[in-house]
Amino acid sequence: MKYDVTVIGSGPGGYVAAIRCAQLGLKTAIIEKYNVLGGTCLNVGCIPSKALLDSSEHFHNAAHTFKTHGIDLENLQVNMQQMIKRKGEVVKSNNDGIAFLMKKNKIDTYYGLGSFVNKNTIKIAGIDGNEQQIETDKTIIATGSKPVALPFLPLDKKRIITSTEALTLTEVPKHMIVIGGGVIGLELGSVYARLGAKVTVVEYMDAIIPTMDRALGKELQRVLKKTLGFEFFFNHKVTGATNEGEIVKVTAENPKGETVTFEGDYVLVSVGRKPYTEGLGLENAGVQMGERGMITVNDHLETNVPGIYAIGDVVRGAMLAHKAEEEGVLVAEQIVGQKPHINYNLIPGVVYTWPEVAGVGYTEEQLKEQGRAYKAGSFPFKASGRAKASMDTDGFVKVLADENTDEILGVHMIGPRAADMIAEAVVAMEFRASAEDISRMSHAHPTYTEAMKEACLAATENRALHI
Amino acid sequence: MSLEVKVPAVGESITEVTIAKWLKNDGDRVEMDEVIAELESDKATFELPAEAAGILRIVAQEGDTIEVGGVICNIEQDGAAASAPAPVKEAAAPAQAASPVQQAAPATEVAGQAVEMKVPTVGESITEVTIANWLKKDGDFVQMDEVIAELESDKATFELPAEATGTLQIVAQQGDSVEIGGLLCIITPGATGNVQANAAANAKQEAATQQVAAQAAAAPSGAQTYASGTPSPAAGKILAERGINAADVQGTGRDGRITKEDAMGAQARPAAQPAAPAAKQEAAAPAATGERNSRREKMSNLRKTVARRLVQVKNETAMLTTFNEVDMKPIMDIRAKYKDKFKEKHEVGLGFMSFFTKAVTVALQEWPAVNAQIDGNEIVYNDFCDISIAVSAPKGLVVPVIRNAEQLSLDGIEKEVIRLAKKARENKLSIEEMTGGTFTITNGGVFGSMMSTPIINAPQSAILGMHNIVQRPVAINGQVEIRPMMYLALSYDHRIIDGRESVSFLVRVKELLEDPMRLLLGV
Repeated sequence: MKYDVTVIGSGPGGYVAAIRCAQLGLKTAIIEKYNVLGGTCLNVGCIPSKALLDSSEHFHNAAHTFKTHGIDLENLQVNMQQMIKRKGEVVKSNNDGIAFLMKKNKIDTYYGLGSFVNKNTIKIAGIDGNEQQIETDKTIIATGSKPVALPFLPLDKKRIITSTEALTLTEVPKHMIVIGGGVIGLELGSVYARLGAKVTVVEYMDAIIPTMDRALGKELQRVLKKTLGFEFFFNHKVTGATNEGEIVKVTAENPKGETVTFEGDYVLVSVGRKPYTEGLGLENAGVQMGERGMITVNDHLETNVPGIYAIGDVVRGAMLAHKAEEEGVLVAEQIVGQKPHINYNLIPGVVYTWPEVAGVGYTEEQLKEQGRAYKAGSFPFKASGRAKASMDTDGFVKVLADENTDEILGVHMIGPRAADMIAEAVVAMEFRASAEDISRMSHAHPTYTEAMKEACLAATENRALHI
Repeated sequence: MSLEVKVPAVGESITEVTIAKWLKNDGDRVEMDEVIAELESDKATFELPAEAAGILRIVAQEGDTIEVGGVICNIEQDGAAASAPAPVKEAAAPAQAASPVQQAAPATEVAGQAVEMKVPTVGESITEVTIANWLKKDGDFVQMDEVIAELESDKATFELPAEATGTLQIVAQQGDSVEIGGLLCIITPGATGNVQANAAANAKQEAATQQVAAQAAAAPSGAQTYASGTPSPAAGKILAERGINAADVQGTGRDGRITKEDAMGAQARPAAQPAAPAAKQEAAAPAATGERNSRREKMSNLRKTVARRLVQVKNETAMLTTFNEVDMKPIMDIRAKYKDKFKEKHEVGLGFMSFFTKAVTVALQEWPAVNAQIDGNEIVYNDFCDISIAVSAPKGLVVPVIRNAEQLSLDGIEKEVIRLAKKARENKLSIEEMTGGTFTITNGGVFGSMMSTPIINAPQSAILGMHNIVQRPVAINGQVEIRPMMYLALSYDHRIIDGRESVSFLVRVKELLEDPMRLLLGV
């Protein structure tokens, strides 16, 4: 078979790229290594973790806040099998959705390991054992990433687990030790803490979610500790973990250089992800690799081999599904000669704990490092009527604006529905709005988004209305 | 309006003063700060200055004792015509009641003198200017120092400030050329005019103020901001695909942002259309081929002036040119040997210009006639060497001046050349920086010129032309050697510079350049 474009990988970057190519009239193929479409994000990442986060949040509220709302429940208990089953149904529903989109857009789907024979020929070792080759004019590599493994911390996938295994536990841990204070560890730690587990976070650096604005990590740490009983150990260097049957022992070195030990029944290793390119046969196509296993691309996401592109987690930048999606569209449109662009400073980062955390643009730390003159306005959800009504008063919205022009440079928020609210900030910044522009727009009352408006009023002239 | 003048606080413990003497009469015109009365306290005598200019209305009489803060007199400020005599103060003593009431003399209106505004002197060689733009209309009210017009000369554009406050009467029209000292406009002062005119002026001022306020209020939606010209995401893609620079698009969005609609309507700069090949025809005699288009372009003021002045110089001077050649090897050897050290120490490159400028200043001091100028029936000899350097600038040739070049070292000259050339390229040279030279150096060699007859830069009397450096065979001590040779040309005004001076000058320059040690030793 001969194709205009072949996409390797069917995650958010890959399937979006394929759809856009098809929409643009290109004959398109997509290759997926597993027997379901959607990649990490859909199968063992974003979607299932959100499903469990939702379920566990409902349980937590039923157990802790419903009484205050005037709802009395008795004999409340977790049905772990059902919770996992529902998560599976959500995943399958999304799998089916993508399969439908492939069919609708007339994209040929191949299930198997795709690898380059040369820059225009791809061999597919099918799941069914058959092997075939396809010819393609252009190729988009969208093979995503997988969890980083530490040599001194071998995974047994039973009690020493990654996020993948953490999505299919059959019991609620008694004590889960989370290694790594990043997004994934905190999200999955939250799931099990809500269901009754004790959670301890061991972080090598001096803060959680260290890539986001520091104020967010500080507030999130405070809330997780207060609400869910998280324990945090910073500047600790984990040196090993051993499975001793019912117990796992984690050894670490504390800031004083002393060895400390943590005991739990599960250890979640979440110290980051790395690009996945094994078995691709990149050398056969002459594609160059960069540092840390990434594929080197230019501004147009083209590799050193003309006609071969790479997007998403295998290339530079944030490992976020929505960044991969934007890159998928960009490559597809460039292949047909269009000239789209991506503003990489405006890709929002989100943590789906509760309260949710979201940020876009420059952090306060970055602005200080740049020596840029800025002003900040902040508004706490304690002063939000809607937040009081829903008993979600933890958190704040912080707006950073240029001191002279009032242009919004960054927005960072932690609070109810922050993951959804951040979109307003992205739109504002894409159109280069000033903080006063946002503060002069009507925001529905009572909503959480009023906090965004108030923070902009505070940033503009220190004149928030409701505090 | 009338201003009440009250007894000022004159001392900590003084509560009242006596009017010792009025120095002005009731109804007199007084100026701001003019002394109008002498006041006495129990400790000293004070002078009372007028607090405004206008007509004096005496309230307290000589000999009266007034409390601090009490009213002494009124001043009807300029512009307020006398409409009625001030009310006579009720007499306190019965004896005064019998006195007949004196009618106040009516105030005479004092009309201000109209101010004729003439073209100011704007540069040494500039004799006329063109009115590029009137910024005010005939009959407008203008304030002192307010910019009312833009004047254009062959060297620069100037702003013309109002020399008085009042009503503008335009005499010379936009586009007219007016000589230095010629009449541009008349300003009839309004500050001391009649109430009607002043009220009208004030009303106009008020309207202008309100207009400015209205514009300020509108600024948030119409002003240029950091976001002006920013294309929306869709507009950015459209512009990129059409090869249109966003800077060339007028944004209609908020604050000038470029909308998708703007981008779709934007036109790329028209590319040169390749001419369609003309259809060949069978003809007995083939017609001439090729384009026969031509176009007319109006000469700019600068170009017109250049044309006129160059012809004028040729017509008004006895211009001759004398030539010589220079063996550049000694200078090149020095540069090769020392340029790195020179650069390191002085942070400026060692070029040829510093050597030539230095040699020229030495020779000029030995042959002062070459550094002199004719002014009417007099010859002006200069004790200093202000060397003009011809620089090719975006707008054309400009000639900035290196002042007192005879005092500068080689590195000083190089730095000054760089500074002036940079300003020339940025069109930032002022008139002062381009006038007053006593001698000019021009270098046609940068364009490859081998030999030329440069034209004198009036009112100077001489100019040195540098040329390209060519490897040529020359006889050195009876042997043929290949040397880097440059021709030198000196054009001069024979009215005050004879062959003896010009040729000797040029030979001296040649000697100094061929033996740079003599520059150092001064011999």
